Amino acid sequence: MTNSKLAWRNLSRNKRRTLITAASVFFAVFFALVMRSIQLGSYDYMYKNVIESYSGYLQLQQTDWWYEKTINNSFEYDSEIRETLTNDENVLELIPRLESFSLASSGANTKGVMIMGIDPVKESLLSDISKKVAKYQLTPEAIEKITIDENFSEKIIKNAELFEGNYFNNKERLLTDLGINIDDADKYMPLLEPYCSIEGSQIELGDPGVWIGTGLADYLLLNPGDTLVLMGQGYHGTTAAGKFPVRGLLELPVSEISGRIVYMPYDIAQQFYNTGNQLTSVVLHLKNNDDRAIEDTKERLDDSVPPKTRITDWKEMNEVVIQQMEADNVSGMFMIGILYIVIAFGIIGTVLMMTAERKREFGVLVAIGMQKKKLASIISYEMIFIGLLGVIAGALVSIPIILYGVEHPLIFKGEIAHMMEEYDFEPKLVFESINLYFIWQLLVVGIMVLISLIHPVRKILNIKVVNALRA
Amino acid sequence: MILLTAWKNVWRNKSRSLVVITSITIGIFAGIFAVGLMNGTMEQRVDAALNQEISHIQINQKEFTDNYNIKLLIDNKNQLKQMINNVDGVEATTLRTLITGIANTATKSTGVQIIGVNPENEKQVFNLHSKTIAGTGSYFEKETRYNQAYIGEELAKELNIIRYRIDNKMIDRLRKQEVPEETISKLEPFIGERFPSQKAFSRTIEKALSEKETANYGHIILDAAWSFRERSKLTLTFVDKNNIQTGAMFRISGIFDVSNSMFEKRNVFIRNEVLKNLTGIEPDKTHQAIIKIADRDQSKEITGKLEAMFPDYQTRHWKELSPDLAMMTGMIEKFNIVFLIIILAALSFGIINTMLMVVLERTKELGMLTAIGMNKRRVFSMIMAESVFLSLVGGVVGIIVSKIMLLFTANTGINFASAAQGLEEMGFSSHIYPTISNTFFITVTILVIITGMLSSIYPAIKALRLDPSDALRTE
Amino acid sequence: MKKLTYAITVLFLVMGIQISAQDLTAKEIIEKADDKFNGEKSGISEMTMTIVRPSWQRTVEFKSWNKDNDKALTLITAPAGEKGQTFLKRGNEMWSWNPTISRLIKLPPSMMSQGWMGSDYTNDDILKESSMVKDYTHKIIGTEKIGDRVCYKIKMTAKPDAAVIWGHQIRWIDKNDYLFIKSELYDEDGYLIRTETGSDIQKMDGRLIPTRIELVPEEEEGHKTIIEIKSIEFNVNIPEQFFSQQNMKRVRQ
Repeated sequence: MTNSKLAWRNLSRNKRRTLITAASVFFAVFFALVMRSIQLGSYDYMYKNVIESYSGYLQLQQTDWWYEKTINNSFEYDSEIRETLTNDENVLELIPRLESFSLASSGANTKGVMIMGIDPVKESLLSDISKKVAKYQLTPEAIEKITIDENFSEKIIKNAELFEGNYFNNKERLLTDLGINIDDADKYMPLLEPYCSIEGSQIELGDPGVWIGTGLADYLLLNPGDTLVLMGQGYHGTTAAGKFPVRGLLELPVSEISGRIVYMPYDIAQQFYNTGNQLTSVVLHLKNNDDRAIEDTKERLDDSVPPKTRITDWKEMNEVVIQQMEADNVSGMFMIGILYIVIAFGIIGTVLMMTAERKREFGVLVAIGMQKKKLASIISYEMIFIGLLGVIAGALVSIPIILYGVEHPLIFKGEIAHMMEEYDFEPKLVFESINLYFIWQLLVVGIMVLISLIHPVRKILNIKVVNALRA
Repeated sequence: MILLTAWKNVWRNKSRSLVVITSITIGIFAGIFAVGLMNGTMEQRVDAALNQEISHIQINQKEFTDNYNIKLLIDNKNQLKQMINNVDGVEATTLRTLITGIANTATKSTGVQIIGVNPENEKQVFNLHSKTIAGTGSYFEKETRYNQAYIGEELAKELNIIRYRIDNKMIDRLRKQEVPEETISKLEPFIGERFPSQKAFSRTIEKALSEKETANYGHIILDAAWSFRERSKLTLTFVDKNNIQTGAMFRISGIFDVSNSMFEKRNVFIRNEVLKNLTGIEPDKTHQAIIKIADRDQSKEITGKLEAMFPDYQTRHWKELSPDLAMMTGMIEKFNIVFLIIILAALSFGIINTMLMVVLERTKELGMLTAIGMNKRRVFSMIMAESVFLSLVGGVVGIIVSKIMLLFTANTGINFASAAQGLEEMGFSSHIYPTISNTFFITVTILVIITGMLSSIYPAIKALRLDPSDALRTE
Repeated sequence: MKKLTYAITVLFLVMGIQISAQDLTAKEIIEKADDKFNGEKSGISEMTMTIVRPSWQRTVEFKSWNKDNDKALTLITAPAGEKGQTFLKRGNEMWSWNPTISRLIKLPPSMMSQGWMGSDYTNDDILKESSMVKDYTHKIIGTEKIGDRVCYKIKMTAKPDAAVIWGHQIRWIDKNDYLFIKSELYDEDGYLIRTETGSDIQKMDGRLIPTRIELVPEEEEGHKTIIEIKSIEFNVNIPEQFFSQQNMKRVRQ
């Protein structure tokens, strides 16, 4: 009988031991795969989110603009550029922007603000800012009315007072902060709507209406419907001045931005800054976001864009985020590494035990004439089979879980969920689909199994029958 | 009684037990160490924020920090300070006045937060003064006729106070650092040039040198070209309490370098009296009281006390002042436990395997015990106790080993230079000192015990199912 | 005897005049030039300002009323897109009135740091009141001819406590008429940051002044601001109320 068949028989004879050892390999593989899948999926998701929602992967800009963001570093956005860009096989949409600074004034207060001139429809391909438009506010008047209204308990009134002045993007947040169960929405919303609703409508090309951050609205004492006055330096030093009706307030998570941001349609911004048909950047919405595809697209377009403009890629625009990504990736690998060390020692430990246990058995076999080499070979086969069993089982079990996770990510609830939502992340656990990393993990475990063979093989080859028989 | 037996049983098969114990030890050690590193990173950030930026508790007029309205002043500052210092647990208090303004040099200007401080008190609450870059000054130690300003390195770069200069001294420095002559000769045509900004300098260097040279020597060259004139001039412009523009000239009395680039860029420190003089704020008023307490964990408690003492003002502790710090600490705590559980789960297989072998080996013995009437519960408990002991020994040794490792690395720290820039921009330092709280060690121990218990269930059940008669018959 | 005394007195007088002319200290020269430039109690002027940049150029025309050296009202008269804006300076403060938005805005320091109307004139130039005389120590370092004007070359070093951002300045001052012909402004490290030149010297309202002033920021390539004085009236009686916020809205050419 071949050594492998012998090995197989040994294994089936001692099913329990086989299964348990295989189980620890299985566990190693399973956990490593699932954890890595979650890690890669999450990093990808988080960073993709950050990158996609603001800078996008590729942008067309004036050559100097990224390092000197003044309105004078804008470029002409004519039909020729539009055609060149849209004709590229990888470009789906063009998202125009005009960004600069200005002074906002209201009464005695003036403040420096950032103006984001956007195409509201196209911009939503990157991030849905309209979701941030505040729909409700707990104004002092609203709180008064809530206090008088008998339908609201003491607890709710207290919560309302705690959050006085706050803005809410959606009714879920309003209810949660007031301490009202979301299931009771139907009961309470009709009561809250008339007290707390504030106007929040869209901005559109051609309409001078703007969105401003709630922080800015508070500072300038502006409500939807009021007028925002902006003054600043326009193109080539001209004076930029204008009045804009406030269409809505944006409740944004980062308070520093909320206090100084104004979104307006980019054609209105062009009029304000006297730039004519110029933009500070055009974000390219791509079909294929792979690293390769992005590089190729950049190379192609770099040659065809007009002089004094260039294609900037996301790596240049997100240096800090990238380093954070790398740091995270390193720490992720480090953690998996730790897991492997633990598991490796587990496997080696188990093998050690088995070897020690079977010393007598080995002694007997060698005593009755089996060649040491043959014995070593059989034992090696045993271990390899166990390893294979564990690895295959681990892979097979993880595949459906990972695939399921990719399609149906786990949703978080509670504090963390809120926090993630505020920063525009859906509170879900994202998996990375089966990929190269999968093979890597399997290989590593395989190597561990092979390494664990060293000890038993050595022990066998050096076995002293007399001692072994006495075990 | 059972426990004693169980303990002895563990040591009956020394080598086998040792193997399991070792793998548990290693697992626990590795897990704790990884957690320690993560905590270390976090702690550093928290410490930096507390000791350099926000401290533990801040008191100011309500809404003051929304727009830094100069008129939102606190009266009777000395009385306030005394009352605060009398509270149990308060270590020191410092008072500050703040205003936003513009900082100007001959070539650049930028918006800044101007903070008027009392240097003596500041040193008791913050350690920012110890972060001065050598050779740039000495905080506010010297008495001078001119107004002093203490700024961060990023701001100094932004305003072109820090210049990049290629001159003979710089070339000498490069030679000392063993930069190859070939590279140095490429820089020689630029001797005498001063570059207005780091970017301009970097761009020129990148054009002059090969990619490899830039990668290898780029940062050495940058460091050598760093030049700063002590007592450089800076004008600060802001509005006084009557909304009239005012300002004055200041000289840099030191440049500080902390891990947080944003903090460095935004803040300019000057003496409190100077700020009050220029703005017309009365001497007995102030904007903020910043409080350092002895035990960080008492923050909430002491904040509560202070709130009760000063109901008209806004009192906040560091978690409220920096919610992202609070969130980070919270999340990392939870994550650490999850990580540890995963490791323990991995280890449990080894334990199960061992205990199974134990049970199977002692079939005869166990069978006999049951035959003579030992009740099943006791058998079960004995197996479980053995399992727990195995795990505990491994766990405890693992904990001890990690404690030793932590002691070692606590002083030297571990270096992560390559991801440095990204980390620094986020406010982290690239030198990490692992730390673990004592509560964590306790949690680990408890989890280890639980793992031991859970792992023993299958083997114990197996033991119970042994038919005494079968057992007795086994060879 | 009497004749000798007389002769000696005359001699001394003549020599005295010579001596004083030659011994005018650097400080006094600067004082005189400064007085000439800033000394008028009030004035009304019409100027054009051309902003030159590497890839574009723009010209703005305005009329300015000044009083007591600390009040000024400026009305933009061209181009059409800017016409009608007024700026009021009182002491350290600046307001702006913009007819497009019908708003009076007090300009915060941040607005000014960009350069007025996009030019190279900064907050420092317009609102700050550093004194050339008081904030510097002066020394004559030579005589040079610029164009057809013979000038004193004077080095002004900023006093350590003075609230000026410059390290030192070199100024060429016309010997005959005490006009600022050229100025070089250096930072504390000794690098040239800005050059100002006055040329096209003409008589306006009875006085000799440079009617073309060029401002060149040396660290920016291709940047320049040119001011041309079209007309100027000195010592005009302008009432205090003229320099008011209400007047900003009303003032016309």
